[in-house]
Amino acid sequence: MDRRKFIKRSALAAGGVIGMPYILPSGLLNAQTSPAMSEHVVFVLFAGGVRQQEAVLKRYLAGSQNENIEGNIMYNMLEGEPPEDKIAYGRDDIQNNIIGAHPIDRIQETTLEKQGVLFPEVRFSRGGAGHFNGLATGVSGSYYITQGLRNRPAHPTIFEYLRRHAGFKATDCWFVGVGIGGSRPLLNFSDHPDYGRRYGGNFIAPLTTFGSPGEKHFMDFKNYHPETDWEIIREIRTFLNNNYVAEGLEIPHLYNAPEEENEIREFVRIMFEKKKQNNVILPPVNDNRDLKTLGYAVEVLRYFKPKMLVVDLSDIDVCHGDFTAYLKNLHRADHGVGFLWREIQRITGMQDNTTMIVMPEHGRDMDPNPIQDLNDWYAYDHSAGNVNTRRIFTMMVGPGIDSDLKVGGPDNPIGDASDITPTIADIFGIKQQVMSTGLLDVNARSLFDRI
Amino acid sequence: MCCIILLAGQSCQQEDYVVFEIEEQTILPINSEKNKDKSNVQYISILYTNMFRKAMSPNDMLDALHAIESIGDKQVAFDILVSKYMNSDEVVIPSDEEMRSDPEKFIRDTYKRFFVRQPTQAELTWMINYINSRQDVSAELMYFAFATSNEHFHY
Repeated sequence: MDRRKFIKRSALAAGGVIGMPYILPSGLLNAQTSPAMSEHVVFVLFAGGVRQQEAVLKRYLAGSQNENIEGNIMYNMLEGEPPEDKIAYGRDDIQNNIIGAHPIDRIQETTLEKQGVLFPEVRFSRGGAGHFNGLATGVSGSYYITQGLRNRPAHPTIFEYLRRHAGFKATDCWFVGVGIGGSRPLLNFSDHPDYGRRYGGNFIAPLTTFGSPGEKHFMDFKNYHPETDWEIIREIRTFLNNNYVAEGLEIPHLYNAPEEENEIREFVRIMFEKKKQNNVILPPVNDNRDLKTLGYAVEVLRYFKPKMLVVDLSDIDVCHGDFTAYLKNLHRADHGVGFLWREIQRITGMQDNTTMIVMPEHGRDMDPNPIQDLNDWYAYDHSAGNVNTRRIFTMMVGPGIDSDLKVGGPDNPIGDASDITPTIADIFGIKQQVMSTGLLDVNARSLFDRI
Repeated sequence: MCCIILLAGQSCQQEDYVVFEIEEQTILPINSEKNKDKSNVQYISILYTNMFRKAMSPNDMLDALHAIESIGDKQVAFDILVSKYMNSDEVVIPSDEEMRSDPEKFIRDTYKRFFVRQPTQAELTWMINYINSRQDVSAELMYFAFATSNEHFHY
């Protein structure tokens, strides 16, 4: 063989090896194609419907109420001085009966805006500004224009992409929901025939699991020995389940391995014990559901060290009828995100190895509804077709992400609500596989490609 | 002459040619008709009745339903729920002595209680052998496995 032929054949052989997909342990083709940018991603669906005006525009009461007072009430996340008058977003002054009089101390010395990248004008570009559409778009990168509640997303979620294409375990993927309403328990996997339950993420709504329903029906559950009792239970169950498994008729489980099932049960047991001892980690101020949920999200992070965790908030949605409570909860959501980022940096293995992404699921109306609160401030809905509901922001912080970078602005919107799924896929090195499914929204792109 | 005519007539009679065939039958497992998922409410309600021999109150049902919905993996959620019920003094389970003194009766009763059917001979044999070969098998663990099995979740 002459030299030219040899080189040509060697190059073809090498190309074949490089280009040849191999079979993952999960039995799937297409392995990770590029190294992960970080080993963990935490995605905060800063949900409930946030008006751009009180968030990145820092207008406080200006424009929305008959008060010309501006200021930043999200000072863990955003740069800017807080309002100096009409303070109503903090903790209540019980002695003097003043609602929200004491702003909460900042947790982050340096704002997350300074630590990472802010996309201040992102678009929630399609479909109505409903919570389910927003949440489902956040986790799947695809809008749900015609889909109603009580349905799983039609397109795969980020959990399914990661489990199928990156070989993640079930306990690598968690959705921590603020509750079980609004079809949240349906957001951990889709109905898509090529993905679905086999690749679903674990879901927990801790305020229900460890609240009154769980206290009645879960707390103090019998602790069977994982290696003796559970071995017997599994042996008998395997025999009983034989032909059902073959027919695909199963209790809808998530393909947690037996050791993962043991870990989840143990986590539930430990949480009940911690709750009894008043020892569950919580943000310094924890007087709403969002903040308590974030505390449990940190517990999930500490226990499982998942690669992918989504946590959603919702208390901001009181804005339908109480603008003062909305400001308080927006301020608390910022407090919670600051707390979450601080705690992530305290977890061995996740410190300096975690990317956090924060994005509201949609905005709110430009014009108020007629409802006034105790301060005579008007409330705001999130109505279909209102342009202001399409205005949101996105923030990223973590290793390898530029610091103090702002991408886009009011006159130059950059980014889309559907970008989060390809962005997370990009972080974990499976962007090409996810994009090539053709199942993302036509606008969806990795935020790294938009910088 | 008459005999000859009769014999001639008989010899000309055509004999019917009959082919016996076997009608094709699809053999399905005994529990194959249970192919529909129970709703969480149906499962919890039937589980509670099977465990406690009484009906669940509506308030308890709602709380149990919410607890189940709060955990994504339903196998894990049902396992925890049954583990919780097993810690109750009110749960109705035969004693281990009863199970071991007459395993066949125990198995038949358990199949009837949870699956509303009799076991097949193969199931009965496997279960009896399992009980006899494993001294650490208790009636409680048997009940746990039946309560959290796929067949119990289907109807």
